[in-house]
Formats: sequence, C-alpha cells, structure tokens
Amino acid sequence: MKENENKKENPLKVNRRHFFSQLSVGIGSLALGSLLIPDLFKGNEKGQAGMPLGIPHFAPKAKRVIYLFQAGAPSQLETFDYKPTLRKRMGEDLPESIRNGQRLTGMTANQDKFPLMPPAVGFSQHGQSGTWISDYFPHIAKIADDITVVRSMHTEAINHDPAITFFQTGSQISGRPSMGSWMSYGLGSENKNLPSFVVLTSRGKGNSQGLYSKLWSSGFLDSKHQGVLLRSGKDPVLYLNDPDGISRSDKRHLLNEVSELNKLHHVETGDDEIESRIAQYEMAYRMQMSVPDVMDVSKEPESIVKLYGEDCQVPGTYAANALQARRLAENGVRFIQLYHQGWDQHGNLPDEMAGQAKDVDQASAALVMDLKQRGMLEDTLVVWGGEFGRSNYCQGKFDEANYGRDHHPRAFSIWMAGGGIKPGLNYGQTDEFGYNVVENPVHINDFHATLMHALGLDHEQLTYKYQGRRFRLTDVAGNVVKDLLA
Amino acid sequence: MTHFLKSRWVDYIILGLSVFLIFCLVFESYIELPRFVSWLGRWHPLVLHFPIVLLLLAIFLGLTGREVPRLLLFTAVLSALITAISGFFLGKESLVKGDLLLWHQWLGAGVALVAAIWYALSKIREEKMILSKTLQGVLLVLIGFTGHYGGMVTHGEDFLALPIEKKQKELPENPLIYGDVVTRILDEKCVSCHNPNKQKGELLLTDLANILKGGENGNTVIPENLEESELIKRLHLPIEDEEHMPPEGKTPLTDVEIEILERWIALGASDTVRLSGLKEPEPLIGLVRSLREPDPSGKWANFPKIADSTLQNLSSDYLSINRVASNTDALSVDVYLAPEYDSKPITNLKRVAKNIVELDLSGLPIGSLEIDMVSLCTNLEWLELDKTPVGDEDIEKLIPLEHLRLLKIYETSINDKSLLALKKLKNLKRLYLWGTGISDSALKEFNKERPNMLIDNGIDPETEAFFVANDTIVDNKEE
Repeated sequence: MKENENKKENPLKVNRRHFFSQLSVGIGSLALGSLLIPDLFKGNEKGQAGMPLGIPHFAPKAKRVIYLFQAGAPSQLETFDYKPTLRKRMGEDLPESIRNGQRLTGMTANQDKFPLMPPAVGFSQHGQSGTWISDYFPHIAKIADDITVVRSMHTEAINHDPAITFFQTGSQISGRPSMGSWMSYGLGSENKNLPSFVVLTSRGKGNSQGLYSKLWSSGFLDSKHQGVLLRSGKDPVLYLNDPDGISRSDKRHLLNEVSELNKLHHVETGDDEIESRIAQYEMAYRMQMSVPDVMDVSKEPESIVKLYGEDCQVPGTYAANALQARRLAENGVRFIQLYHQGWDQHGNLPDEMAGQAKDVDQASAALVMDLKQRGMLEDTLVVWGGEFGRSNYCQGKFDEANYGRDHHPRAFSIWMAGGGIKPGLNYGQTDEFGYNVVENPVHINDFHATLMHALGLDHEQLTYKYQGRRFRLTDVAGNVVKDLLA
Repeated sequence: MTHFLKSRWVDYIILGLSVFLIFCLVFESYIELPRFVSWLGRWHPLVLHFPIVLLLLAIFLGLTGREVPRLLLFTAVLSALITAISGFFLGKESLVKGDLLLWHQWLGAGVALVAAIWYALSKIREEKMILSKTLQGVLLVLIGFTGHYGGMVTHGEDFLALPIEKKQKELPENPLIYGDVVTRILDEKCVSCHNPNKQKGELLLTDLANILKGGENGNTVIPENLEESELIKRLHLPIEDEEHMPPEGKTPLTDVEIEILERWIALGASDTVRLSGLKEPEPLIGLVRSLREPDPSGKWANFPKIADSTLQNLSSDYLSINRVASNTDALSVDVYLAPEYDSKPITNLKRVAKNIVELDLSGLPIGSLEIDMVSLCTNLEWLELDKTPVGDEDIEKLIPLEHLRLLKIYETSINDKSLLALKKLKNLKRLYLWGTGISDSALKEFNKERPNMLIDNGIDPETEAFFVANDTIVDNKEE
C-alpha cells in the first residue's frame, strides 16, 4: 500500500513492471494488458535469490578472510615454483612447443629472443610437506606445514589493471563488486561496530603499480558493503573524529536529527541508498569508539612485536598492517584485505624481490603463527598472492645479476592457510619450464568459488539482480576446488 | 451364468490351466518364451491382487461354515492359476533366480494348485468338512507367505522390517575403499534392485566380480575410465531421464557418494586399496573422511525452533547472534566489549541456550553470572573464553558441555586444577591454553591421557627465537 503511495509521489519508485501495468489500465483494458504481459498479475517480483542474505548457505569452515595481496605480481619462479630446468637450459630460447604462439605483452613481444632465465635465489624444501620455498622467504619456510601452495593458478588478463580487477571482482572490466563486498553482502557483519570489509595498504621499494578504490568498491551492491580503507597515522578513517569543541553527546543529537530528516526523504523517494546512509552514520558514530581501539597496537606485548618484526610499530608498513589484520579479525571484520605494492619486476628483479620479500616474509608468517596460537586459523582463511605470474624468459638485457621478467598469466603461485583449507598441501603443477599448468589448474573463478565455499556460500546461489540480469562473483564460471578443502 | 457354471467347460478350463502350470514348472529349463508371452508376464503384478482378495473371501466363508458361492470359487481359482502362470512368465525374465524368487514361485504355484484341488473337491457332493477346512487353512497360510516373498522380491528384503532407527555402522579407522565405503553406498542405494533376487538390467551389484562383469550392456564399471562407465553416466543423467539411476522415486545418491564412486573407478576400481594407501591431494581422502563426519546440520535438526524475531530481540550493537547456516536453528554468538560492559545481554541468552553451538566471549570482563549461562548451553561445540577473568572454579562449570569440541582459554589465570575438569569433556579435540598458570608437567600428563587432542601451548619457542633473531625488515632498512 505504502509502496503504491510512494509510486504516485515519486517517479523513482516506478519500475518497468509498474509502468506497463499502469499503461494497460490507460488503454482501458486490463485483460489486454495481461495478454500483452503474461505475468502482469503475478505480483511484484522482489528479492534477488532464493537464499536469505546475511547467513551462510551451509555451515561454513571459515568465518573471515585475511587476503595478503601482493600487488604487481610476484614472480612464481623466485617464490614457490622451483624449476631447475631453467638453470640447465639457461639462456636457451623458450621452445615454441611450450609457448605455442600464446600472446605476450607489448613490452617483450618484440624481443628477438626469449632466453630462459633461472632464479637468482636458491630453493629448498621445508616441513613435512617438503614444500619448495625460495630462500627469499626464510620465515614463511617455517610455516610450510600450515600453508597450502597452489602452483597452478591461471588468469586471462595479461596487464595489471585488468588482472587485479579480475582478481578482485571476477571481471576484467571494472564496475563489479569486489570479492570482499560480495562476502559482506552474503554473510553480513560479525561486529556491528566495524565495517565488514576493511582495506589496508602498504608499499615496498620495488617497481609499483597503482592501487585505486575501485578495487574495493561495492559496485552495484549496497554501498555499505564497500571496503573501508584504514589509513595509517592519526586518522585511520578520514573525518571520523569529531571536530574540536564538539562533544559526543552533541554528535548524538546531531545524528538523531539528521536521521529524522533522512527518513522523511526516504519515505518520499523510496531510495534504498538513504537507509544505507543512515546506517553508515550510525556505524561511523560507533566506529569513533571502536576504530581507535582496534588500531591501537601499543598494548601488544613485546613478544608479539618481535614476532611480526619491530616494523609492526611503524604505521603504514606491511608488518603493522599484518598485525592490524589480526586485531581486525579478532574484532569480527569479515574480509580484511592488505595490498603490498612493489612486485612488478620488469627489471632489477633479484634486488627488488629480495627487498619486497623482506617487507612481507616475516610479518606474513608471523600472522599465520599468531592466528594459529589463538585458534583463529580454525575459522580464518589467509591468502597470499598476486594478480598473475611472471615470464620464465628474461625481459631486457640478459644478465643473471640484474634481469627482469614480464607478465605471465598462464601460471602462478599463491598460498592459503587455515579456514577449511587443507594444510601442508602442494597443489597443481606447471611444466618443467614453469610456463603452462600441466596438473590441476585453478582459474580465478575457481579460486573465488572455493573461497566462497569455505565461507559457507554457494557461489551459484549468491546473486544480485542488476540491469536486468543476475550477477555473481564467478559470473557464469567457476568450480569449487574440492581437493583443497579440509 | 449359472448355466455356464454347470457346464463341463468350466472344469476343463481349471484342469487345463493346472496341467499347464505343472508342465511349466517341470520343464522350466526347456522353455523358451516368445516375446509376446513374456510380455503377458508383465501383467503379473496387476492380476495377483484378484486371487488374494477372492481366495481370502472364499476361505472366510468356508471357515465360518457358510456356503461358498460357485461363481466366487471359480473366479478365485481361475485368477489364482492365471496369476501363477503369468508369474512364471515374469520369473523367466530373470536369468538366475534368487532364493526369494524361488520360494515365491513354488509357494505361488502351491496356492494355485491347492485352490484347484479345493475346487475339484467341492464338485464332489460327499465332501468331508474336515478335509475342506484343512485345505482352506493351508491355503490361507500359503497366500500369506507367497505374498510376503513376492513383496520382498519387489520392495527389498527389509521392506517390512520394523522401523527401528537405522544405525549406520561406523567406518573403521582405515577403511577399505571398496569393501567398506563403496559397498556401503551400493548397499544403501542400489542393491535393492540389483541383487540375486531382483536382477534389474541383468546387473548384480553385490560383489566386485559381478560389478566388473556388468549388466546387459557389460560396461557398468570400466576401471580408470569414467567416461565409458555406464554406472557413472547414469548417475549424472538428469533425474527426468528414463536411464537415470536410481530411478525416479528412489533415493538418489548424494554428490559425495557419486564422487566417491567416480574416484574409486578412476583409481582402478580395486578392492584392496585402503584409505591410508591414498596420497594427498587425492580427493577421495577428504570424501571418505566427510562420510565419517555426519552433516552438521543433521545433528542440529532436533534443536528447538527459533524465530528470527527472537534473534533480533537478543542481539545488540555489541552482541551478534546468527544462525550457523540458513537451514538450521543452531546459533553462533559473538560478544564484543561495549564501552560500558553489562552482563544482561549475555544472561538473556538463557532463552536460546540449547541452540547455541558457538559462543565467543573472549576479552570480556565476565563473572560467574555469565559462566552460569554458559553451563546451560549444553549443545555448545565451540567456546572462546580467552583473555577473560575466568578461574578454575569457572572451568568446572563447563563439565556439562559434553559436545564441546574446541575451547580457547589462553591468557587466563586458570591452573592445573582446570585440567581435571577438562579431562571430563570427552569430545574436546582442540584446546588453546598458553599464557595460563598450568604447569608443563601437568600438561604433559594430560596430553598423555588425551593423545588425540590438539593442544596449543603457544608458538614453538625455537621458531619464535628464529623470528626474534631474524628481523628482516630491520635488515632491509640497513641495506
């Protein structure tokens, strides 16, 4: 009833179905209208999917995700995919039987030769699982039995922007909701005083690619599902603090009044984003208390500081963000995404990667260990990886001490830990050149489907209807990689 | 009609059919049925209801000393003979007759022939009452048994078994993939139609030799070849498809069951492989394990129903209460520290105590009021009490939580005494208790008693020392 009134008052509330039904009255014949539009009398089709929102579809293994995104695409050949053949056939041209005419980026497509380049770093096996890990990562090597390395990831995008957009949203073209937003939409929030999707960024000294807020945008989903970027320093969330001279009770009073006005406007227009905005104001009010509390690492004991590395006390570093991630996870944030920039080694790879690895190695491993001792690895899924891999051939001058690697979407490695994923597993294989996946390929869509499965969501059921069709994170593809599930 | 009943033809029909039935039974192995006759056999399940009703009616009249109308007796005997003969035709369709079918066949023939004798006796005027009544009694028993065996052939042997709760026998610790797992699935979902008594499609799924031999098409299971294995093909057909197995109306296999069969075939359909013989990442390992852990939603099925409005009333800005999954009444509760702590929201949870399976109170200044509430949550499986002021006497109150699987009590001031209480929690599998007053020696003792429990007593000191000694970022800066 109320809806009908709304419709009369505001054109925003009239949808196509209303329009046609009014039209048929106008023609003067409901019967004719029903002939023209067979489901005219079927009532308003509301709701997106058959599944209720804000609750997992089935009992989940993981309740939250900490995604340690290594932006720029770290080379799989210097991290987790050990290929001794590259040393044996060093300098030889990449065999055409391996490349098979596949496209390369404009940066190397015009090279006369594609000489195979071995990793500048040693590799050794670690843990009971015998996982090959490069010597750049001595700390991650210590948690080899807690992590599962997937060496058979592959994607379709070959450049950073489409690739990272694909990884975050399931589509190479921007505009879709980020995976964190989908999780927030599907699972709701665990703690009403914090956003359910939080982003933390840091930057290494290596060659960087840009990061932009579209990567954590909620796309066509309600904006409350959008990732909230927590900044380092005094104001983690911009404009969250009250101006000088405004007390908390003044703020409360202000919010009450504004909310009344907004509600009036909502009744008038029926725009759902207004409700969303009211809720956001309320959350911001509570976040004024909760955020400083969560962000305050000064109470962390010395042992924890040492575990993550002294740098975790310096705001804005990867180590600080990793520690922050644990604290956010403890406080019920569903999806915590770290981005560490600087992994785009087109040149000077050995130096840059060594530096990048030092930024993230200890803190990543410390985070897993810290979560483990708190029993949080039981229901928190940690993922570490970039947007694609890097070429097994040298980009630019062939120099073992200072080489580069170009983008390579056909095979790359990531690792996962906890949250319903088998520990200590080595999954998938590339060929001896580390170029193509030869066993158990995992596409980005498959990865998304698996991630959602761990969180108790059926990737085919969690949909949102927008512009006339239902969208999912995996769109029309994706299979849950059951082999990875514990 | 009465005229017809008095004519000799009636007797000839009965006699002829009886002789034909005996002939069939005697020369069974020499008989090859034309297709049309075979088809007539298919009417057996339809006509068999007539002799049962008619004979029982006649017997009832006979035994109560009333006169049995001739028309009734004639139609009853005639239908019994037709049923027996059609049954014989139908039985010829199965290659090997199992015990059940043989019993049913001979008992059925017995019914028809005894009925025919009764008919013959009734023609003789000076019939003896005793003899007649005995015959009727025998007939009654025969009908009962024939029907029962026939029912078992069609519906499976335990169709009429009392509905005692079917308790699945537990899988052994290291099960044989074929012997324990695959046969369990087949027994449950397939064997009721593919057994020696009812060999549908000429397929026997009761032993490996016959499974590999296959049915009519011979390619039921082809080791290492999923695409060609008819069994798998049919499991995957859409349910509307005629060829889909199990047929419509029977319980279909679950996804896990289908995958287990697939992996078993892909690995060569062996009957000697055990679970321990498989290597990660073989999916069969996880699949078999998932069979052992029953679906969690199942064990929560009998929880009291909870309305969404109740959940809304109980939740607050600092207390989240959610269903664990959309189709259950099992609840997960997280409580966060409010600026002004109040125990009310937690003690209010008493109303739904039986439904709470996960409870997170970590970091809260809880006291005995809250712990008393916790001890009412007898279905609790997951409890977080870390960083709270709980003590040994509080841990003792957890003893009623017999389903408790995971407990976090790190960074609390509990002591060795708590271990005595924890020992009584039989289902406890994971325990996080570093940073407490528990002594190493007591913990060691405890661990010995519960070797399968994962006890986390903090980060391994050696690894921790490595992390402290190798601060990479400091190194990085110096460079």
